[in-house]
Amino acid sequence: MKAPGALWRPIILVAFSLFMVVPVIATLVFSVSTRWDRSLWPEGYTLQWWQEVISRGAFLLTLRNSFIASLATMACLLILVTPTAYWMKLKVPQGKPIVELITSFSFGVPGVVLALALIRFYSKIPIPLINRPAILVAACMVLSLPFMYRPVLNALEAIDFRVLTEAAQSLGAGGFSILTEIIVPNIISGIISGCLLVFSTVFAEYTLTNLLVGTRFKTFPIYLVEWTRQDGRQASALAVISFIVAWITSLLIIWVTSKGGRAAAHVVGH
Amino acid sequence: MATAKMPAHRPRSHTAAWTVWLGLAPFFLFGLAFELLPLLTVVRSSLTSKGALTGQFYVQALDPIFLRAFANSLKLSATTAGLGVVFGTLVAYAIITTKSRFLQNALTALSDVTTNFGGAPLAFAFIVILGSTGIITLLFKEIGISLYPGFRIYSISGLTVAYLYFQLPLMILLVIPALYGLRREWQEAALNLGASNFRYWLEIALPMLLPALISGFLLLFANSFGAYATAWTLTGSDVDLITIRIAALIRGEVQLAPELADALSIYSLLIMTACVGGYLWISNRSRSLQR
Repeated sequence: MKAPGALWRPIILVAFSLFMVVPVIATLVFSVSTRWDRSLWPEGYTLQWWQEVISRGAFLLTLRNSFIASLATMACLLILVTPTAYWMKLKVPQGKPIVELITSFSFGVPGVVLALALIRFYSKIPIPLINRPAILVAACMVLSLPFMYRPVLNALEAIDFRVLTEAAQSLGAGGFSILTEIIVPNIISGIISGCLLVFSTVFAEYTLTNLLVGTRFKTFPIYLVEWTRQDGRQASALAVISFIVAWITSLLIIWVTSKGGRAAAHVVGH
Repeated sequence: MATAKMPAHRPRSHTAAWTVWLGLAPFFLFGLAFELLPLLTVVRSSLTSKGALTGQFYVQALDPIFLRAFANSLKLSATTAGLGVVFGTLVAYAIITTKSRFLQNALTALSDVTTNFGGAPLAFAFIVILGSTGIITLLFKEIGISLYPGFRIYSISGLTVAYLYFQLPLMILLVIPALYGLRREWQEAALNLGASNFRYWLEIALPMLLPALISGFLLLFANSFGAYATAWTLTGSDVDLITIRIAALIRGEVQLAPELADALSIYSLLIMTACVGGYLWISNRSRSLQR
């Protein structure tokens, strides 16, 4: 494709970059504009909306709740997935299809259906999970399971975990200390990118939160949607904060994976 | 799902073979408690009425009002997946044939970051630029084109634009490896043998890319079909999508038999699973062919 004008490439790339960047930049500028809904350029600039947003107690509370949900999901998945992946690779390779079926569940199940299924099941049995943050964390674990599993497995496959294990065993190390002191440090880049992917997924999660806990445990995205229906300028400041969190975690993931070799996975599902 | 080849290794320990499965027990229990059992509850509830087996909810779920929601969801998914495949492949090709290494990395990183965007903040960003007093809307008005009322961001056509924001980068990331598989020598050989550039693309490159394009389409389709947050933030219940319908039934906004939500869920689940299953099947097959 050399002949038909060298122009098509820059045109496509510029159009693509504009499409991806303009919504974000526009939201940022909108959040510091006095008014920007009747003229081509903002009528003036102000930090008033940001000040109003930040001074409200619910802002910090919802931000904190989102951090709690994200970190809790991350920690639970870390404890669940890392030993499972290691044990599977070492001892039960024939269990891989079942493990991956459980892992990929959220790819094939819409968020609303997952929420419905959890509500149906846990409202029938006497375990007090329904309407509590715990059910949200469990649902977010299902949702972001593949994002922890993939990088950890890729990292495991990149090291010689079998030789490492046998060497540690011959030195008298027990199972738990082999995992925590030998394996984990060797797959740390996979673990970190997995954690970051889980964090950014759960931090932006709306569907499950809305249907499972609603306003009982208000997270940042729930708060944002409330404001989109009340005041656009303050909502834009909240949206910018979400974008910043997403950009920072994504750039960290790119940075970690470029350091630690191939361990990327991509987030699917909005 | 994945047909993994068994490694030649056998567990070397002296313990009985089945005990090694105990190590996976916590994970299987998790799958049982938060995936399988909840899903089976929905299946059972969708098939029973007052203790008796019935298919009535599956018939009711095919009522015209729900069929319309299914049709809208399918149309939105097919459109955004189709546009995503076409433009995503085009942009991906432009990215990998760019000479500047820096631009390549920067644009791939941009796709990496933006495919993780979505949901509420994205929907709001599109209101800011394409709402009735949005910035792009005003810009178009300035040059004499009025988008409204022909186009509305709070409608299916608006959702199509917003969904493309996460569909495009996803397709780019999915198709880049396949595009790298096209060797430059093939194009040169074809051109040397007298084929036109067009014929090379039609008869050599396209068939080579086809598995990646089809599996990409299926994944994008599922990605859009299951989406809820973006549509809900952007349009509330104005746009009749199946996920919006199910959510309204869950929240009890609509007074209908709860089992109806179950039946609708199972239908949606089957559509999504078919897409994702197709995606996995094609990508596993083309991977084993490449070996």
